[in-house]
Amino acid sequence: MSMLKTLLPSFALLRSRWLGCPLALMLTSTWALAQDKRWGPGEPASDYGDRFYDLFWLITILVSVAFALVVVLLVIPVLRDRARPGHRASFDHGKSLHDKRLTAIISIVTFIVLDAWVLVIAMKDLREAYWAIPDAKDPQTYRVEVLAQQWAWNFRATGVDGEFGTADDILTINELVVPLNRPVSFNMTSKDVIHALFLPEMRLKRDVNPGAINEAWFKPIKEGDFTILCAELCGFAHYQMYGKLVVLEQGQFNEWEAEASRLASTAFDADDTEAHWAWDWQE
Amino acid sequence: MRGISWQGLAVAFGALGLLTSLQTSDDDNPHARAPRGVSLVVTEGAYLRAPGADWFAERAKAEPGRFTHDATLAGGIGGWVDAKGEYWFVEMEEGEWVYNQWASPERLTAGRRDFVQFCSSCHGLEGDGYGRSAQHLRPTPRSFQQNKFKFTKVIADLPSDEALLAVIRRGLAGTPMLPWDLSDVQLLDIIQYIKSLSPEESGWRDVYSQVGDAIEVTEDPWVDIKERAIVRGREVYHGAASCHLCHPGYVTNEELRVIRKDPEGTTYRENLTYPALKDSEYEVLGRATKVMPPDFTWHQLRAGITTADLFQTIASGIKGTAMPQWKGALPDEDLWALAHYVEDLIVSYKDQRPERSAFMGGLRTSGDNR
Repeated sequence: MSMLKTLLPSFALLRSRWLGCPLALMLTSTWALAQDKRWGPGEPASDYGDRFYDLFWLITILVSVAFALVVVLLVIPVLRDRARPGHRASFDHGKSLHDKRLTAIISIVTFIVLDAWVLVIAMKDLREAYWAIPDAKDPQTYRVEVLAQQWAWNFRATGVDGEFGTADDILTINELVVPLNRPVSFNMTSKDVIHALFLPEMRLKRDVNPGAINEAWFKPIKEGDFTILCAELCGFAHYQMYGKLVVLEQGQFNEWEAEASRLASTAFDADDTEAHWAWDWQE
Repeated sequence: MRGISWQGLAVAFGALGLLTSLQTSDDDNPHARAPRGVSLVVTEGAYLRAPGADWFAERAKAEPGRFTHDATLAGGIGGWVDAKGEYWFVEMEEGEWVYNQWASPERLTAGRRDFVQFCSSCHGLEGDGYGRSAQHLRPTPRSFQQNKFKFTKVIADLPSDEALLAVIRRGLAGTPMLPWDLSDVQLLDIIQYIKSLSPEESGWRDVYSQVGDAIEVTEDPWVDIKERAIVRGREVYHGAASCHLCHPGYVTNEELRVIRKDPEGTTYRENLTYPALKDSEYEVLGRATKVMPPDFTWHQLRAGITTADLFQTIASGIKGTAMPQWKGALPDEDLWALAHYVEDLIVSYKDQRPERSAFMGGLRTSGDNR
């Protein structure tokens, strides 16, 4: 109770518009943004999406708790021991070896509990999901070659013959159609600058670098239309570099693939070699 | 607390280090085996032009003195920067007469600066339509040395500033040509610069070229009787206008014979329900490319899909391709009917997968026009 009495006059600070206004603005805007689903990460639509969701919330909660604790521990002495008549500032503890050790131990325990916990889970996720690129020889794996450019995504799928660099390769710009419940594997490169393929609902993001082929994969578990974004500032129109990811159930997908493949062979010009850009699949 | 020793802390740090190192064995980490700097082998054994520093050097050698190097601009403008962080930029010293219109050096300089920043990655620094991002791209980006434009909706040889502005503002759907939301001043400066790229005595530097506005949208005679417009449009599409020679026919052989009043037993082109690849005048690296007439139930149309857009596109034709100018060849009434018919195809079947496959499947199983 005596502690509250000490603290009480300090709340007058909050009434000052210099502190109160920004604080109120911060709280209301955070609350308002949290109300709108578009600002959140959304529901995951790939089979490893939950891992990222779990890790995201683990980090958010751990960091929030740690932040709140630190702020409280900081604010209390600042308010309690603030400048007032009849008190002189002096160090009365914190210089002994015991205190130094105590500080070191608290820091290390915090570090191990917070960071190592997150690190272990993150490494496990990377190994079991992100880096566990599916076998390209497995016929279940749907392979897509991605050629990024300023400011569009070029996609190439094998078409019905299952081989890249043939007349029936399905070429699309800013639109990718993939089958449900099958691993989709990417080989990606860029014509010009660094881009990054970002499928937010699939929890997939990977840089696309010129001169190198990067790999990535995901397995969609929900049908529907999703977002394709570029997540690396790649020039003026970076914000317009987006596309549509369509996940179709296997039967519908087969029908789509057959038709797209057929139309692609109609559009194929064998003499126009400059337009043929497939590469040998890299694993 | 006093009992804990410095050795204990050292052990804790060591354990942490071990924990992290456990995860980075190269054997079970496919990420570590990802190829670095591989040459991308193209099907025909040619090599993909991996972006490198030579690219600009070659271009600069071809036209010495055209480019100067200013690295500060690269940082300041943050526009198109190559691998070495270089930015090629030049002050225009002389103005140009482009189609009886004086473009001041200041205007051309401003236009060039914005052109380099926003347009050159595809359209090329010299406007030859072969910038670094244009590699392998079909349809090819416009070459401003060729002075032909597909979707300006203009009948004259060349589009007016307003017609070009409209194209740049709208963008071309389904291609990397974006809807550009720059200011009018910036876009008009860019347009003046583009016009100044015409080779001598041709395009905008040929005083005999005709420059025109987008075709006028006349009054739609079918505005309250859309169903009749669609029926009429279907007849014109497969009859008088013979659109099915390049675009897909959306009827069976038998229906086509009835519409065209052909004798029994007439045969039509193979794969009637698919489009046919056509020659075009658009060149890349000195070689003409082909273009695919769209299947309206499948492909995205470039220049808008409202009835008015479709009317304008059909009426003006598409320059440099097999799509002719229909204004004058057919009465306006039929052009509007065609626009309504095409719009109906798009609305009913494009992106409506079950409906489309039922419709096209029905055509394909009912005759010999597969």
